[in-house]
Amino acid sequence: MKRLALFALLLLLAVLALYPMRGTGYGVRFMLQLFMWIALAQSWNLISGLTGYVSFGHIAFFGMGAYTAGILIVKLGWPWLWASLAGGVGAVVLALVIGWPCLRLKGPYFAIAMLGLNEVLRVAVSYFEGLTGGGSGLSLPALYASVPIYYAMGVVALAVTGLAYVIVTSRFGLRLMTIREDEVAAEAMGIDTFRYKLYAFLLSAVGPGIVGGLAARDQSYIEPISVFPLIMTITMIVMVLFGGKGTIWGPVLGAVLLFTLQEMIWARFIYLHQLLFGAIIITVVLLMPRGILGVLQQKYHLPRTI
Amino acid sequence: MAALLEVDGVVKRFGGVTAVNGVSLALEAGHIYGLIGPNGSGKTTLFNCITGVEQIDGGQIRFKGRRIDGLKPHQVFHQGIGRTFQVIRVFPELTALENLLVVTTNDYEAARARAEELLGFVKLTGLAGEFAGNLSYGQQKLVEFVRVLMTDPELILLDETAAGVNRTLLNDLLEAVRTLRDRGKTVLLVEHDMKMVMGLCETVFVLDHGEKLAEGPPGLIQTDERVIEAYFGR
Repeated sequence: MKRLALFALLLLLAVLALYPMRGTGYGVRFMLQLFMWIALAQSWNLISGLTGYVSFGHIAFFGMGAYTAGILIVKLGWPWLWASLAGGVGAVVLALVIGWPCLRLKGPYFAIAMLGLNEVLRVAVSYFEGLTGGGSGLSLPALYASVPIYYAMGVVALAVTGLAYVIVTSRFGLRLMTIREDEVAAEAMGIDTFRYKLYAFLLSAVGPGIVGGLAARDQSYIEPISVFPLIMTITMIVMVLFGGKGTIWGPVLGAVLLFTLQEMIWARFIYLHQLLFGAIIITVVLLMPRGILGVLQQKYHLPRTI
Repeated sequence: MAALLEVDGVVKRFGGVTAVNGVSLALEAGHIYGLIGPNGSGKTTLFNCITGVEQIDGGQIRFKGRRIDGLKPHQVFHQGIGRTFQVIRVFPELTALENLLVVTTNDYEAARARAEELLGFVKLTGLAGEFAGNLSYGQQKLVEFVRVLMTDPELILLDETAAGVNRTLLNDLLEAVRTLRDRGKTVLLVEHDMKMVMGLCETVFVLDHGEKLAEGPPGLIQTDERVIEAYFGR
């Protein structure tokens, strides 16, 4: 069974690796965005799904990565791949600066603090016009690189999912879960909860930072409202809740299902789109708070490590 | 030689309420101590002060001669003080086995062997893979009890661990506590079950309104006028 799953996974990866040779331009761009959403949802899962510390401003790391990469490309002429990796570094530095004070806050207060962070960053970026172009945005030199960006996004999505696998199957991951389960008891059992939360938080910022940089390159134009939108944070959260928080494949499943739905159906009903989204949130929270994989886990006694 | 744990004039206030008011007690290694008192007398608060959950407002706490007040709970734990909670605090969505595994950072195989041994000791081997939250109240208490033993702490604080555990298991539990004592460990337990306290403890401390009312062997405590008054009124 395990070998079969591994074989299927490798086959899927091979198909995805070959896809740009046969796929249409639209198809490649669709997949590229799907990879981005997998990386974002999986990253949110690392901090919020495992430790229970809900980050309501996780897109701030995406925006940080986008602006770091954008500025490096425009002002210093960096190649986009290096600039995007630097975006990941920028996001981690931001996570360290923000996490140090904010992770001492308990649950709901942390969520609000993160929400505030995103709003503050958006305003700050608008303010420093000389560097960021302010409210009128930052235009990157024209470049058609959908296929290389497709691969880069795919590698990030795979790497973040691999990271989730390593964490969830380790005692490090179990300790992160003890914070979600009962932080007081975790402390009493010798777990330095602050340090563990900080590690998870830093790891959860890398992916969004890098894909933020890649998205900036892909779109060739960034502005404060396009890279710090609250709706993107909400989308990642819904993807994770829908697929199954705290699992390895739940965020992937949630991203695939919701992003596909969004592209296939909702795009034709612009106004219904948000209504449907709201309906899904309510349905998930009320009827299956553990998400699809969570329900399957309980019903069929599957291991946590799926 | 100094006592293993010295609580020296500890004060803890919550707003205008003084929950612990200048309590001093000393625990020698290798003994079982009891901590009793009416509801609200400060027993659990004192536990929280010792384990770093609450920061004290006055006095000192020393463990093996070193001050531990001001340390964080996880640091206190690594000094060699383990505790259980009055209200169950297992990790419900971790299995019974995982509840124990998270405690140590040393070699995985060794940790697993130790965890399985401890679960066997409280007869929960068959439930090792079950989510702790699905176990019965008494079973969860037992998981919490053996979880503390994972790192073999020198001082173990038990907050009403026996409550809700059935007779047969209770006897095993008492036996386990005695075995720990015989191996040189020190136990301080809060219990409401007087029979258990009297049968198990060598020294009993009585708290009332945050102050230490009496201290001595169980037989003497039972006949102490002030203790009787605190429990039953004048």
